Amino acid sequence: MRNQEKIHAIVDNIERVMIGKREIAELSVVALIAQGHVLLEDVPGVGKTMMVRALAKSVGAQFKRIQFTPDLLPSDVIGVSIYNPKDMEFQFRPGPIMGNIVLADEINRTSPKTQSALLEGMEEASVTIDGETMMIPKPFFVMATQNPIEYEGTYPLPEAQLDRFLLKLRMGYPSHSEEIEVLKRAEKSAPIEDLNSVISLEDLILLQKEVKDIVVDDTIKNYIVDLANRTRKDSYVYLGVSPRGSLALMRASQAFAMLKGRDFVTPDDIQYLAPFVFSHRMILRSEARYDGITPEEIVERILTKTNVPIKRLVKQ
Amino acid sequence: MKIGLQNKWLQVLFYILVFFLFREWLLPVLELTQTNYLSVFLAFIALCFLFSFLSVPWWLSAAGKLVYITWVIVIIYTDEVFFTREAQSFLFGELMTNAGALFSRDWSLITDPFRTALFFSLLWMTAYLIHHWINVRINIFMFFFMTVIFIATLDTFSPYEADGSILRVMILGLLLSGLLKVAKIMQQNHITMTREKFVSLVIPLVALVAFSAAIGYLLPKAGPIWEDPVPFIQSFAEGAGEGTGPGSAAKIGKIGYGEDDSKLGGAFRSDNTVVFEAIVKTPQYWKIETKDTYTTKGWEQSVSSNEIRNYTVGDTLDTGFPTGPVEDQDVAQYTFSLEYPFLMYPYGSVQAEAPEGTTFSISNNTQKIETFQENKEVKLKTYNIAFSEPSYSLTALRATSLEDLSILSQDFSRYLQLPEELPERVRELAQTITENEANLYDKARAIERYFPRNGFIYDQKNVAAPEKDQDYVDQFLFDTKRGYCDNFSTSMVVMLRSLDIPARWVKGFAEGKEMRAENGDKMYQVTNNNAHSWVEAYFPGIGWMPFEPTIGFSGTGNIDYDLEADSTETPEEPVVPEQPDKPESTQQEESKPFSEQFTDMLQNFTSWISDNKGRIIFWSIVAIGFFYVMFRIRKKWMPKILVPYYRLRKDNWHSFETSYHRLLKQLELYGIERTEGQTLQTYAKYVDSFFGSKDMKVLTTAYEKGFYGKNIESHEWLQLRESWENLINRTSG
Repeated sequence: MRNQEKIHAIVDNIERVMIGKREIAELSVVALIAQGHVLLEDVPGVGKTMMVRALAKSVGAQFKRIQFTPDLLPSDVIGVSIYNPKDMEFQFRPGPIMGNIVLADEINRTSPKTQSALLEGMEEASVTIDGETMMIPKPFFVMATQNPIEYEGTYPLPEAQLDRFLLKLRMGYPSHSEEIEVLKRAEKSAPIEDLNSVISLEDLILLQKEVKDIVVDDTIKNYIVDLANRTRKDSYVYLGVSPRGSLALMRASQAFAMLKGRDFVTPDDIQYLAPFVFSHRMILRSEARYDGITPEEIVERILTKTNVPIKRLVKQ
Repeated sequence: MKIGLQNKWLQVLFYILVFFLFREWLLPVLELTQTNYLSVFLAFIALCFLFSFLSVPWWLSAAGKLVYITWVIVIIYTDEVFFTREAQSFLFGELMTNAGALFSRDWSLITDPFRTALFFSLLWMTAYLIHHWINVRINIFMFFFMTVIFIATLDTFSPYEADGSILRVMILGLLLSGLLKVAKIMQQNHITMTREKFVSLVIPLVALVAFSAAIGYLLPKAGPIWEDPVPFIQSFAEGAGEGTGPGSAAKIGKIGYGEDDSKLGGAFRSDNTVVFEAIVKTPQYWKIETKDTYTTKGWEQSVSSNEIRNYTVGDTLDTGFPTGPVEDQDVAQYTFSLEYPFLMYPYGSVQAEAPEGTTFSISNNTQKIETFQENKEVKLKTYNIAFSEPSYSLTALRATSLEDLSILSQDFSRYLQLPEELPERVRELAQTITENEANLYDKARAIERYFPRNGFIYDQKNVAAPEKDQDYVDQFLFDTKRGYCDNFSTSMVVMLRSLDIPARWVKGFAEGKEMRAENGDKMYQVTNNNAHSWVEAYFPGIGWMPFEPTIGFSGTGNIDYDLEADSTETPEEPVVPEQPDKPESTQQEESKPFSEQFTDMLQNFTSWISDNKGRIIFWSIVAIGFFYVMFRIRKKWMPKILVPYYRLRKDNWHSFETSYHRLLKQLELYGIERTEGQTLQTYAKYVDSFFGSKDMKVLTTAYEKGFYGKNIESHEWLQLRESWENLINRTSG
């Protein structure tokens, strides 16, 4: 199977459970392959958990779930060392983060302390307990969900933490007919139970490795940096996209190009992904809020204004 | 969007206007072919327009028109008014005759009724075309333009006077074009035409057209700047006839020998017609006649007492010139292509050979030798003239002085004639040129040499003719300094006369082109281009002597100089460095240092520019206009060049890349522009949806593969080129 077919198999598999959410499924897979993490922002009950479970099942990965609550402690996430009287020593009991695919549900409902424990683990792909560093098994993919921050009883994620997520997605409600289809499929049994894996974990690791071979032309890199630079200069933006954001856009675009069956990145990939990669990495000035400008709109405007590279200025 | 005009009233207006425009076509056609029944044809056109206006179904309108045509034919060619039995049989007979004529391709059998029918069908087609222009294209400019061209052509080349017609055509055409433009803009922008809008748009248009038409009509008209092309084309078609002489009254004369020299000046065209060929050992000037009276505009011959000497074949001729020694005698054998009733003789002519019975009469006034046979003028095809070139003793020439002139007889007064109006500065110039020379001969030489040394230019084209109050010589010497032999020779004669040296103006032909006769002898071919004029001056004690002031002419340089002068006592005064066969003037030009030549060249160039300022500006504007128009419409013709160009190029990434960028540029010109933030794929989708094609997508995918993906090898070049050509050809439409 070619790489593109593998990815399509995963997406198709997810779609069997998640009706009408192909784009979200695709982007989740893109993040998985680009070794990034996804922040899903939406109201409860639209299938966030189902999505992650389907993804985990499709790639035959271990699925862990952490339900964040205000009283959750960091050790509940990363694990704890317990004294074993039989062996006369401490034994590490790994927390739910030590899985392949982790759903961090309602991440903004827990205290910043616990949030940062998770986010550190995401960034380093390892956890440190009692001075001992433990690697999280690969592949490692966190899909965190959060309720829109206007809801009560939430601890909004600090902007620096948001930067750790490759993509920020929104599920949205299914359409009328899609929702009927959801009901139909769930009438007899939960469809998720019948889902089988379509690729192995080894295949997934191979994909994660091969995605780095996707060509990113210098003009494209230049384009990415142009876009990032413009977010930093925009009058509505207080804090623009960091170089980590530029890097994220490049990685994501490589994975997206692979999904599209190309071995190179085009400006279309960049334009498609930029809102998902950049929006949550910018802090807007309060004027933007007064004017009702969203980060997505700013990204959109920058995209229409930035010259797409179609010609090499210097002959190679 | 429904194509075509919506507003009915506007349509009626268009049809009325275009009907009158069409009428301007019919008027001259009918007048020139002497066809009557204008109203019948006009009615037919009106009928056509009416049908298309009412959107009558095609079968009904075709039937109606056919009925009308046949009915008109019946009325015109028979006495019947309706389709009676006689009329029917007439029509049937006509049909059979003409069908037979058509099948047997015997066009002469075709009858007039059939021709009328054909003319009707032509009108029918044109009416349909106009209907298309008005209703679908909403642009009548093509028809308007063609009408103007048609009328202008007819006015120029036919007896049809289009004075009123052109005015009507302009008014109608401008109105129609303007209204159609209004209608088009309104339609394109989906604006419904209300009466207020219509009036507010049309009033300024009508006012402008009326204003410009009135101004154009009332303004005084300049005479034509270009000559009437008809006589030019005719004369061009007739080819070169007998020469009229450079000084003929026409502004552009044709070179050659002519009788009338009363108005000199103006440009002339060259003419290669051969006049005669002469077998002779050395190049000679072929003299025909002289003239004695300068009129400030040209030359005439005084009608003073004329002594005519008659000779028969074999007699020794006296041309009033010294002859050289007998042992140097040569015979010029002439063969004429154009024939004249007089001789063209070299200096030192002794004897003429011609058929028995020919008499030669030499006029003392003009030195013209006319030929007669049995008291009638005769044009000789061939004759021979024996001659020996005169030689002059330099010592004797140098011995002449101004005092000698006082003893000249009254006979010479006509060779000293000068018009009273001759400007004083001409005399002063002659004085200045010659004041350092002691003898008459050197004075004459000084004048002869004055021209090449003082920036005079030989030119046949840009030569002025004197205005009413201008003197031909004065104009040349002081204003234009540019001209041909007539200018130089006349000026020299006038200047010599102003010094009281008798001089006369000589006409004839220069030596001609050197060739070889069949037997290997030297032969000179003389054409109309060799028509020439030069100078003869009279020195007491010496006689007449030819001079050649015209730049670039070798002159009668084969006159042998008396060499004993070299051994006599004038060493400090170098002898005229004349060598046989070497043109004097050019020799002097050659000896000029390079820097001087360069300055001359520069001077010539600047004077050429200043003389041709108008022309240069005109052609520059034409060229700039041309290039500007070409630039503006480049999207139309670019593909025609680009397609073959890229076909010639190798199939590789590089040419594909440049061709793709070309296409982008061409699309931009076409009006489908890629915005800054648009990716090529999005743009391609737009372009393809615009043209209803898939080619741009194909090309863009390939381009992206090569450009972003750096894969420049595996491409389907042929398919890409096909797509590319498809698109680029569409952009020119």
